Amino acid sequence: MTMVEYFSFLPYGKYAFYVWLAYGVSAITVIALFINAKQNHTKTILSLKNKFSISQ
Amino acid sequence: MWKWIQRQASPKVFYGTCSRLTPWFFWPFISLLLVGLYWSLVVSPADYQQGDGYRIIFIHVPSAILSMMVYAIMAIAGGIGLIWQIKMAEVVAKVSAPIGAAFTIIALASGAIWGKPMWGAWWVWDARLTSELILLFLYLAYMSLNSAFDNPRTAAKSSSILAIVGLINLPIIHYSVKWWNTLHQGYSVGTGGLKDPDMQIALAIMFLASIFLYALLVSIKARTEVLIREQNSRWVKEEVSGVVL
Repeated sequence: MTMVEYFSFLPYGKYAFYVWLAYGVSAITVIALFINAKQNHTKTILSLKNKFSISQ
Repeated sequence: MWKWIQRQASPKVFYGTCSRLTPWFFWPFISLLLVGLYWSLVVSPADYQQGDGYRIIFIHVPSAILSMMVYAIMAIAGGIGLIWQIKMAEVVAKVSAPIGAAFTIIALASGAIWGKPMWGAWWVWDARLTSELILLFLYLAYMSLNSAFDNPRTAAKSSSILAIVGLINLPIIHYSVKWWNTLHQGYSVGTGGLKDPDMQIALAIMFLASIFLYALLVSIKARTEVLIREQNSRWVKEEVSGVVL
């Protein structure tokens, strides 16, 4: 059984595997980008907080 | 308006603007995305030739347009940084690169996944696909050149020149389906390719959502970059100590 047949129970039948794979890959990329931006910002603030508390 | 733009050249003002704008980008993005997904996956009818497989267009086309738009913004912001020595323009250019690269990756990946059922191949060395791949390499080259210098000003100068030279690739990508005989289909927007009004609305909403996503990511990443660059100034110290995590 191919992946295409396996996923054909989902909406869009014979195209389900491709459509959901494309949407899934895009969703993961966007979420990763967003989390990475947020985490970098928090990390930067934390390290600057540390730096300033040492220099005081 | 012009005065407002000029004031953004100050790191402190620009940081504040980005902080204030972030929620104004986040919520429209989320709402447009939800409506856009509903319109793309539920409301829009199946295509008469490609059936439901065509639905990949609603992520493929917006991300492909954004991949080129972000590159143009990056090169223009880099140029403004070069000519007028505006540091905040350099910041916008630098943080745009990974976002643009991600849009390019989404465009290439969704295109490959769309190509398999329609053409029978994940990849072909067609003019459209190859020029888009070169765009990805340009982004990667820009990012590695930018991180190769310790001084952010020197890094911005050399990478901006690279970005401006790379602008030549944008018309090549855009006109590739016209100039060469490509396997990639021709224009879908503005030429009657996509005729159904529901399909057009879905595509327009997803495109708007992508623009807000780009703006949202810039408003977050630019703040991080400004903090790092301006860490020796007094306002950063006050700003950082005021943040409760």
